[in-house]
Amino acid sequence: MKRLLTLLAIAAVLASSLVACAPVPQVIEKEVVVTATPVPVVVEKELTVYHWWTAGGEKQAMDVIFKHFRAANPDIKIVDNPLAGGGGITLKTVMQGMLAAKMPPDTFQSLSGSELKMYVDGAYLDPVDDVWAANNLDTNYPAVINKMVTFNGKKYGIPMNAHRANWLFYNVPLFKELGLEPPTNVDELIAVAKAIKEARPEVSPIGLGSRDKWTAIFLFDVVLLSEGGPDVYEQFYTGQLDVETDPVIRAAMEKYKALIPYLYPYHGAKIWSDIPGPLGEGQIGMMVIGDFAAAQLVQAGYVEGTDWEAVGFPQEPEEVFLMIVDTFTRPVGIKHPEANTAWLNNLADPDTQAEFNIIKGSIAIHKDVPDSNYPDDLHQRASAAFKGKRIVPASAHGALAPQNFLSDWQDILTRFLYTGDVDAALSQTALVMTSYDVAGQSEWYWAK
Amino acid sequence: MRPIPDMSYNRLHILLFLAPIFIIVLLLYGMIAWTMAVSMDNWVGMAPVWKFNGLQNYVTLFRMERFWGSLRNNLTWMVAFIIPSAMLGLVLAYGLVLSGRAESLFRPLFLYPLALSFVVTGTLWAWMYDPEAGVINNILKSIGLGSLSQPWIASPRQATFCLIGAAIWQYTGFAMTLYLAAIRDIPGEIFEAAKVDGASDMQIFRHVVVPNVTQATMVTIAMMTIFSLKVFDLVWVITFGGPGTSTEVLGFFMFVATYRQQFVGLGAAISVIILILAAAVVVPYAWWSMKKLQT
Repeated sequence: MKRLLTLLAIAAVLASSLVACAPVPQVIEKEVVVTATPVPVVVEKELTVYHWWTAGGEKQAMDVIFKHFRAANPDIKIVDNPLAGGGGITLKTVMQGMLAAKMPPDTFQSLSGSELKMYVDGAYLDPVDDVWAANNLDTNYPAVINKMVTFNGKKYGIPMNAHRANWLFYNVPLFKELGLEPPTNVDELIAVAKAIKEARPEVSPIGLGSRDKWTAIFLFDVVLLSEGGPDVYEQFYTGQLDVETDPVIRAAMEKYKALIPYLYPYHGAKIWSDIPGPLGEGQIGMMVIGDFAAAQLVQAGYVEGTDWEAVGFPQEPEEVFLMIVDTFTRPVGIKHPEANTAWLNNLADPDTQAEFNIIKGSIAIHKDVPDSNYPDDLHQRASAAFKGKRIVPASAHGALAPQNFLSDWQDILTRFLYTGDVDAALSQTALVMTSYDVAGQSEWYWAK
Repeated sequence: MRPIPDMSYNRLHILLFLAPIFIIVLLLYGMIAWTMAVSMDNWVGMAPVWKFNGLQNYVTLFRMERFWGSLRNNLTWMVAFIIPSAMLGLVLAYGLVLSGRAESLFRPLFLYPLALSFVVTGTLWAWMYDPEAGVINNILKSIGLGSLSQPWIASPRQATFCLIGAAIWQYTGFAMTLYLAAIRDIPGEIFEAAKVDGASDMQIFRHVVVPNVTQATMVTIAMMTIFSLKVFDLVWVITFGGPGTSTEVLGFFMFVATYRQQFVGLGAAISVIILILAAAVVVPYAWWSMKKLQT
């Protein structure tokens, strides 16, 4: 008997220590006394947000969303959880654990497209068709955005901003001095790079920071758009082409190879944000990157139009808006569904989008936000292109191509920048596309 | 002295104090068992998929060029990291012993890097290795040796060795501390006898110190082998596996496969392989030290 009691005591201690280790839910409960009985326990309204906007301007931009949210929902407390890591690499890792442990935040950030699909496939998200319909987003958002959040006929995220990935930034004094015009296709890009290298050997014609491997994809994407146009681009990244034999993909890879001698030679040691500075200084001639580089240049004191300029690239055969879209979601089993709905409604609001995007350095996707909303020329032009040109989801970061393919694809491209072996790159790409069933994973994009 | 209370009370105490150890062991080995189970499942995607597929993940891995490339880099780490760090550590330890009172000044100096996190070390060395703005090439240029400047981490051939250089900088102090303790353990009479016989410091190092620090060498090699097998942070911070995939190691590949590509079963299989490789070092070492203890 005594032994049994001892064992029970141990079990109790163990159990209590385990309970002490268990995560404590972050719900703050408050009792409200009402006249009727019984006395209900009311959960205080709260919204737990996970996102990756932690860099200088990004944090201020997030504060704008919070400001608008608080104005409309003064009774809801925001519990902000920013996780540093460009493109949400850390957030994805954290989410994978939290969602599997069934501890979802009330909302978290994702990119629209294949990345969002990853969460949908895991059955971690609830549809947001109610918010979509209430804000009339079928009309107010472009059709391609609708496509990028629709899986199995339902909407799974509310996007609120778009970055343009296909800008060609260039140093204005250098171009003036050498009498160069900004290129409009990849052949001209090669010619301009050659001219810079011949006239000014100390200048790197094309800047790249491939320690961020995705930058290699940014550069390839504009080459592919120039060689094949947007249709081929979409077919390639959704696994519709036979990569090993397709003449356009081979031609694009050959042109990509032709750029190698003109790249900044130490690109493997740099990240993307190391490049805008030297570009503003004139040590680097050109750079293909998203509009987020503009903020870097402006912050460093380089003036748009005087020190640097950017053009949509390529303009031939067709200028497109290569798009990356940030989105927020509604996870399954959240504690504060009403707060989530209020949050998503706030994101779809054109006023929130207008103010947020000025600071974020992206553009609003709600059609009610005019081009004149943006103080700088680059974003006014981006906004106009968004409304007037064909919108194509960018492959990098996982808007179009599946994540597992992209990870290998950026490795193939960064290796290629050192080897220049076209046959090897194409056969490796074809192998990855087949073994990961990129075509099957991308069926959502072609679904009617 | 108070009489000892009855035995059952005592046993309860023992069990209560041991309980945390049981929990930790249970959790640790439970996790290992869980990882092994996952490695034999076809778990692809974010949500758990329990679809048993035997050793298929391992077969897939062994067919991947990337796996062998990562393993090769881990082996490079073992050779190029352990030997220089251990040798430098031993030389420094003996140097400290010889330096007399200056030891208290130098010892913390060499130990200091060990206190830094790998992220800090990685960031510092990434700056230093920068081919243009980095301090290494700039020093070479300023002393007229500009022709010796290198692309360092921008070169697929040199990058792994650059990473290893940073690790040597950080871990030499660790080896030095172990060797310092081992040298201090050598009976003073042996040194005195050698000195009486007219042995120089170099001869003492060669014939007295080196043969008497075998145990410290075993500990150093075992610890550093495990470090070489699970290295991740420095690769992540300094090169992110690049240029291309030239600096990828098993730990990095495991992270990419699990979290970026959602091949969770495959990632678990890589973890198990790292565990087996580490066990191949730890088990013989533990066996050897147990034997040593018995004698």
